[in-house]
Amino acid sequence: MSKEDYFIVGGVDVGSTTAKSVILDSNKKLLGKSLQNVSPRVAEDAETSFVKACKDAGIDRDQVFLVAGTGYGRLKVRFGKLVVTEISCHAKGSQFMFPNTRLTLDIGGQDTKAIRLGEKGEIIDFSMNDKCSAGTGRFLDVCAESLDYSLDDLGPVSLTATRPVNITSTCTVFAETEVSNQLARGRKKEDIVAGLHDSIAQRSLSLMRRVGIEKEITFTGGVSRNQGMVRSLENILNTKINVSPLSQWFGAIGAALYAIEEVKKGGEFVFEQLEVHP
Amino acid sequence: MAISKTSAKGLVETKDIDLEFGGAARALQQNLVKEFYREDSDQPVVYLFVGGNPAEIFQALGFRIYMPEITALTTAIRHQSLQYILKAESIGYGLDVCGYVKTDIGLTHLSGGQTDFGNIPKPDLLVCNFSGCSVYYKWWESLAEFYKVPLIMLDVPYQRHDNPQKEDLEYITAQIHDMLAQIEKLFGKTLDMNKLKEVLAYSRKAEEGWARSFKVCENKPSPTDAYFESIFYMFPINALRGTKEAADFYELYNKELDERIKYGIGPVEEETFRYVMEGVPPYPGYRQFWDMFRNWGAVSVAATYPKVGGMFDFEGLLHDPSKPFESIAKYSLYSYCNLSWEHRRETIKNYLHDFDADALVIHGIKSCRSFTAGQGDLRDYTINELGIPALYVESDHQDPRYWAEAQIRNRVDAFFEALKMNKT
Repeated sequence: MSKEDYFIVGGVDVGSTTAKSVILDSNKKLLGKSLQNVSPRVAEDAETSFVKACKDAGIDRDQVFLVAGTGYGRLKVRFGKLVVTEISCHAKGSQFMFPNTRLTLDIGGQDTKAIRLGEKGEIIDFSMNDKCSAGTGRFLDVCAESLDYSLDDLGPVSLTATRPVNITSTCTVFAETEVSNQLARGRKKEDIVAGLHDSIAQRSLSLMRRVGIEKEITFTGGVSRNQGMVRSLENILNTKINVSPLSQWFGAIGAALYAIEEVKKGGEFVFEQLEVHP
Repeated sequence: MAISKTSAKGLVETKDIDLEFGGAARALQQNLVKEFYREDSDQPVVYLFVGGNPAEIFQALGFRIYMPEITALTTAIRHQSLQYILKAESIGYGLDVCGYVKTDIGLTHLSGGQTDFGNIPKPDLLVCNFSGCSVYYKWWESLAEFYKVPLIMLDVPYQRHDNPQKEDLEYITAQIHDMLAQIEKLFGKTLDMNKLKEVLAYSRKAEEGWARSFKVCENKPSPTDAYFESIFYMFPINALRGTKEAADFYELYNKELDERIKYGIGPVEEETFRYVMEGVPPYPGYRQFWDMFRNWGAVSVAATYPKVGGMFDFEGLLHDPSKPFESIAKYSLYSYCNLSWEHRRETIKNYLHDFDADALVIHGIKSCRSFTAGQGDLRDYTINELGIPALYVESDHQDPRYWAEAQIRNRVDAFFEALKMNKT
C-alpha cells in the first residue's frame, strides 16, 4: 500500500455505555457510522458496531484495510490491529474537526476528560475524573429516570428553565435522592435539570482548569449531544464552545485517523507485526 | 500507540550469554526475607518505623528489630491485606486511616500475627522514631495500649533547611541518650560503643552499595528499574541495616548490575522511555502496575520511594562509625517524608536532569496524606516550570479497594502514547 493508494479504515470506540464506529476512506471522508449501547459481551458489541458502520457505508467488512480500537473496551476490538487510548483519539478527532482546538472536554458515560492540545494537535496534558462517575453521563441518566424523562429530553427541557436550582452534589449514587429532595421542595423539573447541568459544568471546570483553559474548546462525548449542557458550559466558561452533530463519534474518528496514518507510514506490513495487549 | 509487547516478565531473557550473577540478588533477597520471618530467638523485640530509625543502636544492644510497615506491605503484595484492613475497620478504624496501620492492627492485635510467611512477634518495646506523619504516633500509642509495653517517643524535627541544623542534631542526640538510660532501666542493657561502631560500619557499607545501585542507572540502558526492581531490594537496607548480611547483599547486587551493564542488559527488551518515579507503589496491584510501564519499554531510572528508609544518595548522610550519635541523628532528620517540599522537589528536579529522564510519573496513595500531599503541585511544577511531561495516578499502597486497574492503565497508556507521538 503506498501513500497515494485509496483505502478504507475503521475506528471502533467501545466506551463504558455505548459503542461508536466510523468508516473513513484514505481521503478522510466519512463513509458510515454506527452507535449502540454496550452489554456485558463487549467483544460482540464491538463486532456488531463495526459491522453496522460498514453497512451504513455500503461496504463489505473485508474492504476495510485496518481497524483501530479505542475506549475502555479497546482491547476487545479483536478484529482490529491497532489500539489507541480514547484520550489520544478524542484529541485527534477534535483537532481534525476543529483545527484550532486547544482544549477538548469529553464527557462520556462514566468518564470526564479534559485534554490540552498544542498547536500541532499534540497532547500537552490531560486530566480525568478519578474512580467516581459523579457528573458524567451516567449521573444524567439516573437523574432523567428519576424525573421521568428520556436522556434526550434533558437538553430541550433545561432550555426552558427560568430559575435553575443550585445543586452541589453530582454523585451518581445519590442522584435520585438529590432529585427527590428538590422535587419535594417544590422546584420545577426544568429548573432542576438546568441546575444539574450547571453542577456538571462546574465540576468539569475544575478538571479543565487542572490542565489549563485555552481557546478554542471542543466538547465531545455522548453528553455533548445535550444542548442544555452546552449552554451551561458556555455560561460558566463565558465563551462559545465547538460542538458538532458528530461529537459523540470524535473518539472513533480519531481512531480511524490514526489508522490512516499508520497505513500511510508503514505500508502493508506494519500492522501484521503488531500484537495487542493480552 | 499501545502496540504492546506481550513478554513482560522481568529482565530480558539472555539465552546466549552465560551470566555469572543472573538472578543472584533476587534469590538472596528472597532467602533473607524467608529467614527473617522464620527467626526465633530469645532477644527482646523492638518495633521501629522504617524511615530515619536508630536501628544501629538496637542492633548493638541485642534487640530483634521488627518493622510492621514491612509486614503490612508484604501482605499487600501477596493480596492478603484486605482481610486485615476489614478487621481493623470492624473495631472502628475509619476508611481513611492509613492502610499500614489497619493491616498491622488487623493482622497482629486482632488475628494473632500468624501469616503464611511467618509468625509476627509481639513487641517488648516500641520506639516511635518517625516525624513525618502524625498518624504513626497514634499507631504506636495504640500498640502500646494493646500490648501493654513501654513506648519511647523520639521527637525528630521537620527538616526546614537544606543542611542539618546544629540544634536539631543536639536535640536528637540528647533524646538518644535519654532513650539509652530508659532502656538500661527497663531491660538492663547497656550500649557497647565498640559494638555500635562495628554495626555502623556494616550500615555504611550497605548504604554505599545501595546508593551505587541507583547511581548506575545513569547508564543507557539502565541496568535495573530504580523503582519496581529496587523496591524488592529495599528489604536488606530497611530490615537488616547494620548487619553483615545487608552489607554483603548490596555487594552481590552490584556485581549483578555490573554484569548487566557489561552486556547492555536492562529490565526491558528495548529502553524506549526513561522516567523518574515518585510515590509509594500500589502493592495490591504491583505486578499489573509494573507491566503497564514495561509494555511501553519504560524504565524508572530514578525514584524517591525506595530511599524512604534513607536518602543515602545525598552527600554526607551515610552512617559514620567515627561519629556514631551525630550520624544517627543526621540520618533520622533525612527520612524522605521529613524533608520539606522544596527539598523533595529539588531532589526530583535533579533526578530528572542527572538521569536524563523523559518524564515524571507520580503514584499518590489515598490513605497517606503525609506522602501524597503536595504531589499535585509537584506535577504542575514539572509540567509548567520544567517543561517536562508528568503523570499523576492514584490508588493505595495497602487497600485493594482503591486499585482500579482499567482506569490506571488508561492513564498510563495515554501518557506514554502522547510521549511517543510527541517524540517522533
